[in-house]
Amino acid sequence: MSERISTLNSLNSSISLMQRLQSSIDLTGRQIASGRRILTPADDPISSARAIELRESLSRTEQFGRNASVATSRLSQEETALSATNDILQRIRVLALQANNATLGNEARQQIGVEVRAQLNQLINLANQKDGNGAYMFAGTRENVQPVVQTGGSFTYNGDDGRRLIQIGEGRTVADGDPGSEIFFRIRSGNGTFDASAASANTGTGVVGGGSVVDPSQYDRDDYTVTFTAADTYEVRDSSAALVSTGSFAPGDTIAFRGIQFTLTGEPDIGDSFDVAPSSFRDVFSMVSNLADAIETEVFDGASQAMLNNGINRELQGLDQAIGSVLSARTQVGTRLSIIEDQENTNSANAITFQETLARIEDLDYAEALSRLSQQTTILEAAQKSFVRTQGLSLFNFI
Amino acid sequence: MGILNISMTGLAAFQRALDVTSHNIANANTEGYSRQITTLASRIGTTAGEGTFGAGVKVSQIKRSYDGLVVRQLQGATTGVGRLEILDEMTNRVNSLLADPDTGLNSSLQTFFGSVQDLTNDPSSVPTRQAMIGQADGLAGRFRAVDDQLSSLNSEVNERVRQAVAEINGLAQSISDVNNKIATAGPDQNPNDLLDLRDRLVLDLSRLVAVQTVAQDDGTLNVFIGSGQGLIIGTEPQQLLVIGNEFDSTEARIAFASDTLLTPLENTLSGGTLGGLMEFRDRVLSPARESLGQTAIAFAQAFNTQHRSGMDLRGVLGGDFFSIKPPTILASSANTGLGTATATVTDLGALTGQDYVLTFDGTNYNVIDPIDNTSVPFTGTGTPADPFVFGGMSVEVGGTPAAGDRIMIRSSRGTAATMQNLMTDPQSVAIAAATRSRMDLNNLGNATLSPAVTVDATDPDLLTSATIEFLDATTYSINGAGSFAYTSGDPIVINGSRITITGAPDAGDRFVIEANLGSTGDNANGLLLGDVQSVDILDGGIVSINENYGRLVSEIGSTTNQVIAGLDASRAVQRNAEAEVQSVSGVNLDEEAARLVQLQQAYQASAQVISIAATLFDTVLGMTRR
Repeated sequence: MSERISTLNSLNSSISLMQRLQSSIDLTGRQIASGRRILTPADDPISSARAIELRESLSRTEQFGRNASVATSRLSQEETALSATNDILQRIRVLALQANNATLGNEARQQIGVEVRAQLNQLINLANQKDGNGAYMFAGTRENVQPVVQTGGSFTYNGDDGRRLIQIGEGRTVADGDPGSEIFFRIRSGNGTFDASAASANTGTGVVGGGSVVDPSQYDRDDYTVTFTAADTYEVRDSSAALVSTGSFAPGDTIAFRGIQFTLTGEPDIGDSFDVAPSSFRDVFSMVSNLADAIETEVFDGASQAMLNNGINRELQGLDQAIGSVLSARTQVGTRLSIIEDQENTNSANAITFQETLARIEDLDYAEALSRLSQQTTILEAAQKSFVRTQGLSLFNFI
Repeated sequence: MGILNISMTGLAAFQRALDVTSHNIANANTEGYSRQITTLASRIGTTAGEGTFGAGVKVSQIKRSYDGLVVRQLQGATTGVGRLEILDEMTNRVNSLLADPDTGLNSSLQTFFGSVQDLTNDPSSVPTRQAMIGQADGLAGRFRAVDDQLSSLNSEVNERVRQAVAEINGLAQSISDVNNKIATAGPDQNPNDLLDLRDRLVLDLSRLVAVQTVAQDDGTLNVFIGSGQGLIIGTEPQQLLVIGNEFDSTEARIAFASDTLLTPLENTLSGGTLGGLMEFRDRVLSPARESLGQTAIAFAQAFNTQHRSGMDLRGVLGGDFFSIKPPTILASSANTGLGTATATVTDLGALTGQDYVLTFDGTNYNVIDPIDNTSVPFTGTGTPADPFVFGGMSVEVGGTPAAGDRIMIRSSRGTAATMQNLMTDPQSVAIAAATRSRMDLNNLGNATLSPAVTVDATDPDLLTSATIEFLDATTYSINGAGSFAYTSGDPIVINGSRITITGAPDAGDRFVIEANLGSTGDNANGLLLGDVQSVDILDGGIVSINENYGRLVSEIGSTTNQVIAGLDASRAVQRNAEAEVQSVSGVNLDEEAARLVQLQQAYQASAQVISIAATLFDTVLGMTRR
């Protein structure tokens, strides 16, 4: 510091010091009043830029939350519908088992057939159910089109295979539904691998039982025909009529060839045949419709009883596949709901982190601000006092 | 001489000295006043036989207490503060505009993409579609508003440049007038108050622009600006002129009025308000507008491209959602030929946002970067079939250019202000995928099929159905023709759509790709539209639209921060320099009071001597009377 102090400079620097102190007190005061450390982006440009990013992440996270509740609501509606579908299928299954009982008279079975048809209508209604917004739930993405249309005993699917994905987190999407084609129409017939059925012209009492795959590597998905050449002898031929195997038969025996097997009860007549085809896709509605037809079969002798049992057995197998399909859809829905819940937890944890960081950047630390204010006012008071003291000092007072 | 005369010189000298002191006291509060000092010297006496008798005192000179070095330091510090004050004010306004949630682009971008997501959740809802179109309007409007605000800052810079140049011209005139008066008075006359006045004018000038000064023997001061161009030589001031950029008359440049070529000085003028304004425009404002334009082009093009890949509620492929003008073509005002050019942005990853200049050498065009005049590599010949390609643009040239002609291609600056939302019909928002895939319900195999993804929305057969039918487990035909090898999980692209078949299909199994008609609930394209903000498409595919805008905001933020820190520091430097100058030249009233007392005593002593001389004289008279 220089020895000479100019009077004007000393005055000016005192004034500018007091002005700077006053403006910092003003800033602190405004910070305290608003509770925010950054009042305008100019106060801390770098933190303001960071705050923009955080607000952006926060708003995206909030958006994901909204998306997740949309998906949750749709999946819950689907779950309700699938659960009702399962109940109906289970009821139909019970009815089919009752009807399969040989002690039941034609009249009683007619009654059961009526209930099965009623359940079928319920099932169709469920598949054509609309959600809260009036959109068909099981039409894939063709949500304005009624997915299941009945023409006589056949059913067509008018939806598509589309699944709508909903974004529930950064790079994380979840389907908010399943197309009806997957749940109701793409159901494997038979046991899921092959489908054994009695020829409609059979005159014996042979009834096809459950089948299974023994060795998948031997099974070649060809069409086979098991034909009884005598009451106790059968032969198996493939689609090109080549002989595959022959065997002797007693009621309840297992017929096995090419890695697969199925049981046959009752007594087939000579010439009776049984077809074994690879499972194809069928829809649950025609299964139930066929089931009702089968249940309503008039039984008057052993052959017609076998026809009834064969018909019911075959559709029962399909029904089990359908129940499995609904179950797997429900499992998927449940998995998705739990994924959403997981993601929502992550999202809300992220949101809290973002908010905390934002608060650290933007919000005022009151303890710090108040002590800063008291420090600043103390300094200003001191500056004012010293100004009055020093400016009063002048040699002219003594001349 | 005698006692009487000697004391008379004392009285006269002390009176002068008292005059100077009271002048100092009177000017104690005058800005730029330099304390004046009376220098006394003894008068040379007469030599008699006994030796030399003194002849009293005289005022040898009245000079300023002045240190040229510290004054020049203060001028330099003032230039720094002048530059940083204007930079602080202007940069802060850009920062507040961009970083404020209410005026920046961020909230609009977020709201818009939020509405896209809402629509993706519920694609067939017409009110949600209407809301999304409303947000698109809002976003386009915000792009325009932000660029308009920045562009109005550009106009303000021009206006302020004009004001600063007018002030500089006025000051140059005043300084040379003062030079003239000082020269007339003569260098030995110590015209102290004129010198102070000139210093104050030079200080005012250095707030506006960096100056160098050189004192001349005749007392005048030469003032130079820029890289040594003389603003004032002796008593001759030069006038500065505001001119337009050769390509853009709305961009103020500066030249000497006497320069017949009007060579722009902006690259050499630095510091002060004028230098700060130029620096703000060239280093902050224009790059910000370029970056904003780059973001706008990338957003509009990427969103349009994705939108064209989708299908609307009417079963028609999406059209352009936003419109934005192509790069601006600006011919130099100095051109003698009539060359023309058109430019389109063709590669977002290579788009730099900056300006380029095409120069014609008589036979060929070259491309240069106007910032440093380096040449820019490019390909092509400039014809429609083979355009020049550089900086992410394709440029076609035409017309009849003359050698030396220059055409500026402004790739991005100002384009944000041209963004418009073209969508008005809620049904025409393309949220569904263009095509869908379908497995035949009669398929026997257990193959699964992925959704169809549009890979080439421009394929003319995009919406034509195609059926893949398996001939056996490993080969398939397309629409009944050909035989293609099947590998599970490999993508298959037909008519611009891609599907993937996984698993083991049976012979006769069929998979269909078809126009996604009637799938009003499909949101596949909506999901992709929602991703446009975060897909890395800029800077060679590493920067997203969001990131590009975020980068702009944080760059402006950190520039603002640096300016604020620099301003605080340079104000401290200025205060120190001011204190230095004042400690040399400022008036201290206590010092002057003491000086008054000292001179009063000396004056009284001299008067006392006269009184003694009178007494002596009386004594002699008394002797003769006796």
